[in-house]
Amino acid sequence: MTQNKSTAGISIKNLGLSFGTTEVLKGVNLEIEPGEFFSFLGPSGSGKSTLLRAISGFGPDPTGSIKIGGEEVTGLPAWQRNVGMVFQSYALWPHMTIRKNVAFGLEERKVSSTEIDGRVDDALDLVGLKHLADRTPGQLSGGQQQRIALARTIVVEPRVLLLDEPLSNLDANLRVQMRRDILALQRELGLTTIFVTHDQEEANTISDRMAVLDKGIIQQIGTPVELYDQPQNRFVASFLGTANIIEGSITEGHFVAEKDFKIPVKTDLTGNIYLVIRPQSVTISETEVTENNRSYSLKGNIEYSEFLGETVRYSVLSNGHSILADESHLRGNKIVANGQDVWVEIEKDQILLLDR
Amino acid sequence: MTVKASSGFLSRSNFGPKALAILIALFLIMFLAVPVAKVFIVAFQDPSTGSFTLINFVDFFKTSLFRESFWNSFYVSSVSVVVASIIALPLAYFTSRFNFGGTVIIQTLGIVPLIMPPFVGAVAMQLLFGSNGSVNLLLDEHLGFTIPFMEGLNGVIFVQSIHYFPFILINLSAALANIDRSMEESALSLGSNGMRLFRRIVFPLSMPGYVAGASIVFIKVFDDLGTPLLLNVNNMLAPQAYLRISSVGISDPMGYVISVILVIFSLFAMWVAFLALRGKDYATTQKGGGGLMKRDMKPAEKFIAYAIVLFILAVVLSPHLALGLLSFGTIWSYSVLPDAYTLEHYAEVFSSAGDFIKNTLLYAGMAATIDVVIGTAIAYIVWRTKIKGRKILDYLAMSALAVPGVVLGIGYLRTFYQFDVPFKDIPLANYWLIIVIALAIRRLPYAMRACVAALQQVSVSLEEASESLGARKMTTVKRIVIPLMTGGILAGFVTSFATAAVELSATIMLVSSEADAPIAYGIYVFMQSAAGRGPGAALGILAVVIVALGTYVSNRIIQKANQKNAMSPDQH
Amino acid sequence: MAFQNKEVIKKLTTVVIGSTALMLSLSVNAADGQLTIVTSFPSDLTKVFKKAFEKDNPGIKLEILKKKTTAGVKYIQETSAKNRTDLFWASAPDAFEVLKDDSLLQKYESSVKGLPDKVGAFPVNDPDGYYKGFAAAGYGIMWNERYIKAKKLPAPAQWADLTKAVYHNHVGMSAPSRSGTTHLTVETLLQGKGWDEGWKMQKEIAGNFKTVTERSFGVPDGVNSGNFGIGIVIDFFGLSSKGSGFPVDFVYPTATTLVPANIAIVANAPNKENAGKFIDYLLEPNGQELLLDPKIRRLPVNPATYAKAPEGFPNPFKDSSIGAAVKFDLTKSKNRYNLVNSLFDVMITYRLDDLRKATKAIQDAEAALAKKPNDDAAKLIAEARALIAKLPIDEAKSLDKEFAGIFKKKRKKATDKVTGRQAEVEQEWDKFVVENYAKAKELAEKAQSML
Repeated sequence: MTQNKSTAGISIKNLGLSFGTTEVLKGVNLEIEPGEFFSFLGPSGSGKSTLLRAISGFGPDPTGSIKIGGEEVTGLPAWQRNVGMVFQSYALWPHMTIRKNVAFGLEERKVSSTEIDGRVDDALDLVGLKHLADRTPGQLSGGQQQRIALARTIVVEPRVLLLDEPLSNLDANLRVQMRRDILALQRELGLTTIFVTHDQEEANTISDRMAVLDKGIIQQIGTPVELYDQPQNRFVASFLGTANIIEGSITEGHFVAEKDFKIPVKTDLTGNIYLVIRPQSVTISETEVTENNRSYSLKGNIEYSEFLGETVRYSVLSNGHSILADESHLRGNKIVANGQDVWVEIEKDQILLLDR
Repeated sequence: MTVKASSGFLSRSNFGPKALAILIALFLIMFLAVPVAKVFIVAFQDPSTGSFTLINFVDFFKTSLFRESFWNSFYVSSVSVVVASIIALPLAYFTSRFNFGGTVIIQTLGIVPLIMPPFVGAVAMQLLFGSNGSVNLLLDEHLGFTIPFMEGLNGVIFVQSIHYFPFILINLSAALANIDRSMEESALSLGSNGMRLFRRIVFPLSMPGYVAGASIVFIKVFDDLGTPLLLNVNNMLAPQAYLRISSVGISDPMGYVISVILVIFSLFAMWVAFLALRGKDYATTQKGGGGLMKRDMKPAEKFIAYAIVLFILAVVLSPHLALGLLSFGTIWSYSVLPDAYTLEHYAEVFSSAGDFIKNTLLYAGMAATIDVVIGTAIAYIVWRTKIKGRKILDYLAMSALAVPGVVLGIGYLRTFYQFDVPFKDIPLANYWLIIVIALAIRRLPYAMRACVAALQQVSVSLEEASESLGARKMTTVKRIVIPLMTGGILAGFVTSFATAAVELSATIMLVSSEADAPIAYGIYVFMQSAAGRGPGAALGILAVVIVALGTYVSNRIIQKANQKNAMSPDQH
Repeated sequence: MAFQNKEVIKKLTTVVIGSTALMLSLSVNAADGQLTIVTSFPSDLTKVFKKAFEKDNPGIKLEILKKKTTAGVKYIQETSAKNRTDLFWASAPDAFEVLKDDSLLQKYESSVKGLPDKVGAFPVNDPDGYYKGFAAAGYGIMWNERYIKAKKLPAPAQWADLTKAVYHNHVGMSAPSRSGTTHLTVETLLQGKGWDEGWKMQKEIAGNFKTVTERSFGVPDGVNSGNFGIGIVIDFFGLSSKGSGFPVDFVYPTATTLVPANIAIVANAPNKENAGKFIDYLLEPNGQELLLDPKIRRLPVNPATYAKAPEGFPNPFKDSSIGAAVKFDLTKSKNRYNLVNSLFDVMITYRLDDLRKATKAIQDAEAALAKKPNDDAAKLIAEARALIAKLPIDEAKSLDKEFAGIFKKKRKKATDKVTGRQAEVEQEWDKFVVENYAKAKELAEKAQSML
């Protein structure tokens, strides 16, 4: 298959959508570049699937604008939008062979049958399943069905590719392999792709950029690293990875929280804020540590520990706050016992302060 | 304390169920397998020499009357399926494609026809739709033409279609509702819509459900004796079998030949339905469900939809209406409505037809009881024990579906004429108990399926918990399993009862005196005399009330049982 | 909840077992006197007699087994080894002849004396004493008054009237093979007008048929409900329909016959004495009066009963025109019984459509001819009529015992591998008739095109 010449960018402006009287999407603004691998990430009920479906033309009519390749598509029925959609359940038609399934879109576009055969073969080759062309979906495994669903969509050379949680029905090992394959395919075709998932690891590993959604509102857009390192609100901070979040306020150059928790900080923010520090930036030590250039130290006490294989996660109670600290685990390392008094070191330049 | 489940044939832990299984098997063999086998044997036997021959079948196909009957039965069944589909299709379309306010009406439409057996309304339909019936009189007067609704075979087709279309409607609706929505959406996103989408995706996916419903309708119309008999259409297979046996005699081979043909066709239709669903059971390969996308109707569409639905409702209710008019009417002759109205017919029914009613309640009650007892026993044996060959019991009981009532009747006459009932000087074939048995055998498949469904709602772990606390099998069954199945069993009982109460095909073959006759036969007899139309119709209304009550009660019981069982955790 | 359900099941079981036991016990207590009657009469009639007889004879209980005449005969034949039937009670005397020949009846001398020997031209009782006549019936024409008024048809009076074009597609009749009474109607026509003339008229009437009904009751039923306007029926169908309030009327044509309805005691009857009592009851004045009931309306054999009859009720003893014209030969009828059935069915019942179309063509041509006389056309029409009337066999053949013997209703392989098995002969006739009807239609259409 040739590089996709006609891949398009997506521009969403001020999109809102309601089911009856319930508002499910609010004020969505989004620009996706042509050829970008873009993810929608969020918990269930966040509206990510709804947004995807709105782009493909399913569900209630939204307010606002959706442009694909500069063309306004709100108001167009799904079959006129030329977007490729892969469904969570793959939706292969059980009464047709694989070949017929994949050929479907081409037949609808009145492509000549010789050309259809060629293109179907190419698509099946691309996903490595040409030898299954004459089987029926019921005879294929989940992973194989997924790839056929992909093949069926890309064979019609859509402008954009939309994937609605395509990996959630596969088991763990297969998921990892599949997401790499999907990424490879996308790179080869250069097709603008939106990938919906609730799994951070998936989103992190394959997205160029992603949007985090919660309760129908886009929380933040950026690259995986940007979102992780510079979350702009509490939700994003706590959703991506694990974070220690302490509520407090700025008073006289210090971050002050209840129970005498006090750290000097340098910031322009005032009033109520969150202090965010990731567990991997917190170290514990059984011997006393004092403040230095790199980190602040606090005294605390081990509440419990969780052995996670690669790390041991400690929960330390310090000044009335439970702080999580991750220590890398190597063979032979001892786990600090519960109740042990320890010193907690917090890396200064890893502290993030967010407006509350 | 636990006894190891031994695999010995008559091991103690197995003895109860084993003995039960054998008893049931004997019952089914004696009252189902043997009579049907007898019918087959006679059909293939030379009447004078007794040797095996195909000459009876040759004679059958050489006689133009029988060829005609064969073709007519086939024709009537096929066209009935077509007409029933035409009625069901728009209704299924409205409910599955749109948010249609009239869905409740359509659901009612799905039940109303089934509460009145077609033969009951057949005569009344003549008065409404006959060539000089109400509708045609009005048409002729105002528009100058008539429509031959009830001429010859048309009458049978018309009555059967409006009675049986619910089977297609229900199956088709269920099939459409089972379609995973993403099936349709993926096609839409690939550029398909409208008719093309329907033809390539929706239609093939709903086909199995449709075929299942259509083959049920085909076989029920093919086998039905009552309707053609009451419409005086005799050149069809089932009435011919009845006429040959009743007027020419039990020894006439033609009646048996026809019986064999009826059974073969029944089996064929069942096989087609089986094939359609097997391997193409698309419900299991589709993960979602959710049915097709529904949209709202525009006002013009709403108007058309309601018009169609109400029109169909009127047609479907017409037998009930006509029957009601006939039961209250004095004289109804060459006029749109009866001349005047009276309660006389009901008075006569209640005074002189007490026997019919009493017999019906007795027969149907006994038959339904037999059905649920045997049904529960078979359900338990097949699904909860490991007795060898238990599946055969299931198949044997289900095979009753392939035996038309008229064939069962003929088989009984032939098999049991030699036996005398103990203590009485009557051949078993003439004793009223045989009618009860025939009704029970015919309804057993449905009752058994209800019992099986009820049993499957009871998780095995509930039984295991009882046994781990020290209760023996018998006690467990009595105290745990059966009480939890009660809803389903009762529903099965009521359904069996309601349908047995109005069965005619086997009854008419086996009734030997009016004192032993149930309501269905009573209606038939009344309709044979000029002055009997009114009381016959009144009796028909009574029968409808019994069935309607039965259906309603059954549905309520199922609902309540479902509510109760919804509390129990994992359903296996 | 489970407790309640158990209760329900318990109650249900008790009810069912209890009522079963009750039923069984009730049926074991048979009445002291029993009487089993196999009859072809409808319940309208049997109910009336049963009620009255049981009232008069409280110790005796009647068990009525209703079967069609042919079915009844078969039943008695098949159960003769273990006979449980006391009486056979039906219309057609030929059924009784069949049983008499099979020695399945026994003689009975009734205590009721003084009844006439003949009604109309027909003997009331079996001269050999095996069966008795208790009522008489004739054949005629009934019509629906609303129907003929609406369609502007004249009320018919004679068989010949029914051949007129105005009645096309308005007439209904059953077939002799399906109804013993209809068979007698046809046989009466054949004996009254002669074989050739009789069939000719029968076919001309049949050309006006709307339908050939499946059973004799289908005719009065059709007329009563207005399905077709005119029916050829046995008199009590017409009279009882009228008596029940339907807007219908009935008339006897001159060429009709009165045939008795009979009753006989079956050989080896278990309750011979009670059987005799019943026969006597039928013949006594009280029993005879029951025949006047509006739902029954059959002609009593006791002349005195007619004094109590309603206005306009036919009286064959006073009115000698009824049923006297034709002297019915029972033997002739018996010998060619099945043959006549087959001939009617092949020529009329199975080919009704062809016959109707040919007849319509002729009627249309004749209507045109009346307006524009034309000799050639007239000749063609006459030819066409002759073709329809043509018969595959003549009367002599019909009375040929060997030929008539071919026609068995049932197929018995053991007998007669003689030339002309029934199916073959019927096939021949069918071909004959189809050709002729088609040709007749052709000729009539040709004649019409000339006018």
